[in-house]
Amino acid sequence: MKKSTMNYDWIVPYNYLPDQFKNREDIFSEWKKLTQSAEFTLGPKVEEFEKNFAYYVGAKHCISTNNGTDALILAIRALGIKKGDEVITVPNSFYATTGAIINCGATPVFIDVDSNYQMNPELIEGAITKYTRAILPVYWGGASPDMLRIIEIADKHKLAVIEDACMGIGGKHKGTAHGRFGKIGTFSMHPLKSLNVMGDGGMLVTDDDDLYKWLLNYRNHGMQDRDHITMWGVNMRIQPLQAIVAILELQKIDQIIIDRNLNAKYLDSALSNLAPNVTIPRRNSYDLETFSLYMILCENRNGLMEYLRQKKIDVKVHYPIPLHLQEAALNLGYEKNSFPIAESQANKILTLPVHQFLSQEQLQYMVNCIKDFYL
Amino acid sequence: MSLKMKVPYTNFAPKNVDIKRQLMDAFEQVLDSGKYIQGPEVKAFEVEFAQYIKTKYGNGIANGTCSLRLILEALGLPKDSEVITAPNSFIASASSIVLAGLKPTFVDVAEDMNINVDLIESAINEKTKVIMPVHLTGRPAKMDKILSIAKKYNLLVLEDAAQAVGAKYKGQNVGSFGIAGSFSLHPLKNLHAYGDAGIVTTNSEELWAKLSLLKNHGLSDRINCETFSSNCRLDELQASFLRIQLRKLDEWNGSRISLANTYNEELFEYATVPIKNDDEHHVFQTYMIRVTRRDELQLFLKTHGIETIVHYPIPIHLQPAAKFLGHAEGTFPVTEKLSREILSLPLYPGLSIDDQQYVVNKIKEFYQ
Repeated sequence: MKKSTMNYDWIVPYNYLPDQFKNREDIFSEWKKLTQSAEFTLGPKVEEFEKNFAYYVGAKHCISTNNGTDALILAIRALGIKKGDEVITVPNSFYATTGAIINCGATPVFIDVDSNYQMNPELIEGAITKYTRAILPVYWGGASPDMLRIIEIADKHKLAVIEDACMGIGGKHKGTAHGRFGKIGTFSMHPLKSLNVMGDGGMLVTDDDDLYKWLLNYRNHGMQDRDHITMWGVNMRIQPLQAIVAILELQKIDQIIIDRNLNAKYLDSALSNLAPNVTIPRRNSYDLETFSLYMILCENRNGLMEYLRQKKIDVKVHYPIPLHLQEAALNLGYEKNSFPIAESQANKILTLPVHQFLSQEQLQYMVNCIKDFYL
Repeated sequence: MSLKMKVPYTNFAPKNVDIKRQLMDAFEQVLDSGKYIQGPEVKAFEVEFAQYIKTKYGNGIANGTCSLRLILEALGLPKDSEVITAPNSFIASASSIVLAGLKPTFVDVAEDMNINVDLIESAINEKTKVIMPVHLTGRPAKMDKILSIAKKYNLLVLEDAAQAVGAKYKGQNVGSFGIAGSFSLHPLKNLHAYGDAGIVTTNSEELWAKLSLLKNHGLSDRINCETFSSNCRLDELQASFLRIQLRKLDEWNGSRISLANTYNEELFEYATVPIKNDDEHHVFQTYMIRVTRRDELQLFLKTHGIETIVHYPIPIHLQPAAKFLGHAEGTFPVTEKLSREILSLPLYPGLSIDDQQYVVNKIKEFYQ
């Protein structure tokens, strides 16, 4: 395992980006080539990344975007989902999952999650109405919901499945890459994702040729070519500079996933005897998680969080307020206790650093501090 | 853009020579900081850019299209409101209006290619809420007249200044006249990122705050979501590059103006060259002439290794996407005539005297 040599304010930092880009010669040499070619809008590097990523997840097409939110918005629009339509999703994701649905004029319909923080498929059918058009499960934290069951229900009711695999790059569920079960899979390369660039970046994948063609036009102002527009499109292009970083980082993704899994395994086993103060989610043998977030449930979460931060361990909460209780969701009409499991998790959940630049000593220190707190 | 041409339409290399070291230093500094989004570089660029335009606030956005759309969304206009704009711009001017759920109302342009201020009033109805002039080619629109019409009818003015960073009308910077100015900082602009970027200028604190919210998922802080929105942020790396470029902008614009003056002097007998007007500080983001036998000339120049562009051969109102607005051919005669005559010539800081003379000579040769 690589050991950090960078200076941080934390003994166990959450943000590892300066370490990640410590060796930057390859990025700089590619960037110099890019400035010489002046291909700053789409171009060969963007296409190369799309080709590589499609190959990596085994998809026919990949379209890169300016960020993961854009990927979600594009996916929803590509399926023609609009005002009056309903999309079933979860209340415990990042704001952008729901934001994208609302951005397209559609209505998000939340269902509760399971003990692994993932969409509970058995609640889907109770939420289906005549307006339902799609199911939008999230690979929350980089683990997987029961995708085969979700697809089964979607097929039965003729609903599209859009996967929010923003945290799932490099993960697998029963042998299939995250984001490869439904009609369209979306991904984010925001800093601190399993695969990340030096700013915003995202992409979506699909096997559908028609969707792909529509998406290509719509992403770039609706331009068929420079002088003809067939529809009012948007500018959601990835920066070629970020595509360069993504190409290089994609070569390392499998090792990153392995390192994170080793760290997670260590934490799992070291923390498991702190039950019932600490609850670790179930780990399925058929899942390869990305551990974009390593999340445990803790008694006296806020006390523990404060204690660990005093000990210079940068822990986080993803997130203390579920989506349906946000101010933005007021007009959706949900109340407290609408989703008891998601709400109870929001009060207990804590995210520990698990990234590939942590040393054995840092992991050990973190475990010791958690043990000390509960002693 | 083709760098294989003898004289390409544009070329970044000469501009980069002076600032290459600074750009690399900025790159390293941002990398080391580990802050790639919503950090100090974006904040500093926003302040410096607002100072340059002389507005109270700047707000960095992912690109110029997003910035127009977000401003329109932030203004909170009723659903069927109309926005008056010109039909000869890049499609993003109109598409951002449509994407914001509003209706574009086109007004024909004048011979200077900017919105014809004498035609605006007849396009105003009870649904009209905004006038959105486009400072096309780097030339400021006639802002005093536009402001007085807006005042008379109680309309907002939103400047699409995507093509005109550094341009002034009667000494005042474009982007500082109305409720907001929207700038694209795309690589083909006078001030540009090395990828997509944009910025909004405004004197309204309320609008600035709304934009900050809308461009970042509607988040008032990390855990509180006030309104569901999307992600249209400018990133730290591009902001750090833009800060370096901003310090060179006046020099680069000066060089564009002097190249344009040379074209004017050399070509006025062969083509309709851009009209000069003392009220206008025109920064020539594009140098557009009007010619007869335009397509033939363009082909002739191409065979001699000179790259030229038409901005744009098909006006927005005649695009398939605009069908639902129901504008037939002939609706905006000046725009349509211009679209058949205009040609943009190579012009960029660092274009050599020899290369420019070569372009001039080939145009003269074509018409002799």
